[in-house]
Amino acid sequence: MQQVASPRTSWASGWISPLGSESARVMHLLRRATFGYTPSQLDAALSDGFSKTIDRLIETKPAEPPLLLTADTPGGRFPIAQLQQWWIDHMLTTPTPFAERMTLFWHGHFTTDYRKAADNTFMYWQNLTWRRMSITNLRSMLVEVTTDPAMLRYLDLATSTGQNPNENYSRELMELFTMGAGNYGEDDVRDGAKALAGWQLPQPDSFATNNMNRRLPVYSTQKTGVFNPRRAYRGSVTYLGQTGPLDTQGVIDRILAQPATAVLIASKVAQHFVTARPTTTYIAGLADTFRRSKYDMKTLIRAVLTSPEFTADRAYRGLVKSPTEFMVGAARALGAASLSRLIAGSGAGMGQSLFDPPDVNGWPNNESWISSNTVVERVNFVTAAMSQMKGPLPSSSESVRTHLDGVISQQTASLLNQAADDRARWFITLASPEFQLK
Amino acid sequence: MKKEVGINQLKRRDFLKAGLVFGAGASGLAAGYAAVPDAFARAVYAAKSEGVSNDSVLVMIQLAGGNDGLRTLVPLADPVLHDLRPKLAGPMVSQALPLNSQFGLNHNLGGIKGLWDRGKVAIVQGVGYPNPTFSHFESIRIWETGDPTRRQVEGWLGRTLATSYDSNGHPLTGCACGATDTPGALRDLQATLTVIQNQKTFGFTGGSEVEAAVGALYKGTPGIYGALFDTAIATATETMATLRTSSSTYQPMADYTDNVKLVYSSKNQLAAALQLAAELIVTGTGVKLLHVTLGGFDTHYTELNRHDDLMGYLDTAVSAFYQDLSAHKMADKVLIATWSEFGRRPRENASGGTDHGAAAPILLIGDPVHGGLYGAEPSLTSLDDTGNLKFAVDFRSVYQEILSGHLGADSASILGSSFDRVPFLKAPVAV
Repeated sequence: MQQVASPRTSWASGWISPLGSESARVMHLLRRATFGYTPSQLDAALSDGFSKTIDRLIETKPAEPPLLLTADTPGGRFPIAQLQQWWIDHMLTTPTPFAERMTLFWHGHFTTDYRKAADNTFMYWQNLTWRRMSITNLRSMLVEVTTDPAMLRYLDLATSTGQNPNENYSRELMELFTMGAGNYGEDDVRDGAKALAGWQLPQPDSFATNNMNRRLPVYSTQKTGVFNPRRAYRGSVTYLGQTGPLDTQGVIDRILAQPATAVLIASKVAQHFVTARPTTTYIAGLADTFRRSKYDMKTLIRAVLTSPEFTADRAYRGLVKSPTEFMVGAARALGAASLSRLIAGSGAGMGQSLFDPPDVNGWPNNESWISSNTVVERVNFVTAAMSQMKGPLPSSSESVRTHLDGVISQQTASLLNQAADDRARWFITLASPEFQLK
Repeated sequence: MKKEVGINQLKRRDFLKAGLVFGAGASGLAAGYAAVPDAFARAVYAAKSEGVSNDSVLVMIQLAGGNDGLRTLVPLADPVLHDLRPKLAGPMVSQALPLNSQFGLNHNLGGIKGLWDRGKVAIVQGVGYPNPTFSHFESIRIWETGDPTRRQVEGWLGRTLATSYDSNGHPLTGCACGATDTPGALRDLQATLTVIQNQKTFGFTGGSEVEAAVGALYKGTPGIYGALFDTAIATATETMATLRTSSSTYQPMADYTDNVKLVYSSKNQLAAALQLAAELIVTGTGVKLLHVTLGGFDTHYTELNRHDDLMGYLDTAVSAFYQDLSAHKMADKVLIATWSEFGRRPRENASGGTDHGAAAPILLIGDPVHGGLYGAEPSLTSLDDTGNLKFAVDFRSVYQEILSGHLGADSASILGSSFDRVPFLKAPVAV
């Protein structure tokens, strides 16, 4: 039984940050910008170093997932679990995990619930679109989001007309996707809804009749919404301070002309990758960089990951892994590529079921992931994952160093020292509070 | 209410406030990296020196997304309704279950109508607050904190737990049933509470060995989240022990089976959540404040079937819950109240739905209730400048009646002020 030397914690100061060392910075980066790592992925990143790893993460084109063969099921009526597993399989095996982290980030930001979208083919397309646009430009992204079929349904733009507009998308586009509450008025919501009206779902390639004698749409290729001028609003609107005729691109450009937009996106990215409580100065700097880049996501992400705040001592273990990050990270640490079914089924009890966010604000973060229910479910996931691991486990001799940075509490150290074998040591490592943090 | 607070409690609360959940700025964050000794994690269990000592129970049902008040309590004789809602008004009026010549309940609220007939349902009309926000999240926050000025950060039920209950060793005093995370209404960093999504699966699948190991692992965890993690595990473990004994003695005395086919909100397991609430209540776990949520009320689209289904879901769950409590001779202790962040726009939109609105009715159900209509019917002709219903009763008047009249808690201290009475309780204890 290997003894863990002296645990590197102090009761007086919380976790002792190891981020002064290059290797700890690399592991910190991989935990926050990818879904954890296998030993070989860690070795590659350590040999590249912190800066070069950032370049590689940002500059590598997102790898496409394999085709989902059931995606053309009439009406998109294939089980959502298939889509969840398909995505998790890609998280587990992709050569570009940063793109998957960004896809998950956008899935929580430009969120959509498969229940209301009511066509899992649309949800599949949305996932492909979010990945392709994940590190492009906010201006083009907002067009893709607005005309995405699942989104058209989720926030009701597909049924809005200029004559009798539905305000749902207009409001959330400003409140949650771009500017934030308090930066626009109710009149902007109303006139925005007029200006955005006219989008409809794409025409199917064909129809099929199911055994209930219902006619269901069949889509063989990915499509976006189509604009029907007859449903649009004719006339001028007053939107965010200007009056005149306005189309969808005009709405987006006016939103991008508001300083609040860059602040909201920068703040959300910083909270996701850096700290739960970014300072206003930090956000102002990031937002300025983002806006001057004409809303280039790579520029914003690079500014975030290379900022001193990202590797500051107080950032260390300052974020709680989301359930998906935790589970995929645990599977990668164990070298298990076959846990996607378990992962897809285990998220709900921890508060995160993919394609099924709690509401239009997406998922909450950090302390919201911690409750009596969710922490027990996290432990139960480790129990289940270990029991599903066939064959020998990877050696646990390095797990404290490579997954917990050697920074562990007295309790964790003591339990690891009592552990009888690899299985017990992996259980303690993955179920520990340290592993829930990033 | 003034009470003695141990130094550890103060320290824990203050640094968590500053550094973790609601603080601002770098100094707050730095403070958050102060120590979290084991004692702080345990401090949340510290006894309250004063507080309530009755056995009243409150169950809050959140109708999330903005419940359409006009389709819940339907105006039967207002012709303007048909002008505002050409598609939606006809069926909702013709099918409504009349309470009097003016108002009827949604036709899927048959069970609740039966309780109304027995004098067990109070409906407060026109509930809202000044200068309403139409953002779900801002309005939810206002209702959860009980503060339209948005300064308060703790939930109104969380504050009640923290100031008025002795939750020492009783983490079930406050419980969110059917949820995975803490509802904002129950949140308070000094409040001990439990979150149980599904009682049947609430436990360590690895058995007692894992339970013991995890109990040892989550002790004195350092860092800003340490106390939250440790408290979550300690609370869960104590709750499991309680449930192990309670589950063997509880037999449901009502059919909680949901007979409504929901259009897209089948994730809302309100009936299961209320059945768990009933079990916690009738087995004497000491539960006082419960919170459950039914989502799907953001009916911008095809509201007709969708909202009817949700009403049916609510009706099934509440009727079974009341019947179960009644059969277990506990109905006289329990007040059930609904809340929603806002009502919906009186005028319907092109999608056969309604957009975000303002004032709406609240349902209060149970033996403690003095049945009838309270508040005032909002006018359909005198709308505010956003085309929405004007409120007649501040939602905090309802909270005040619940806190003082039903729970016997110090409402003025919890809500920070006093409000007009809404006398919907048969025998209010302390107002």
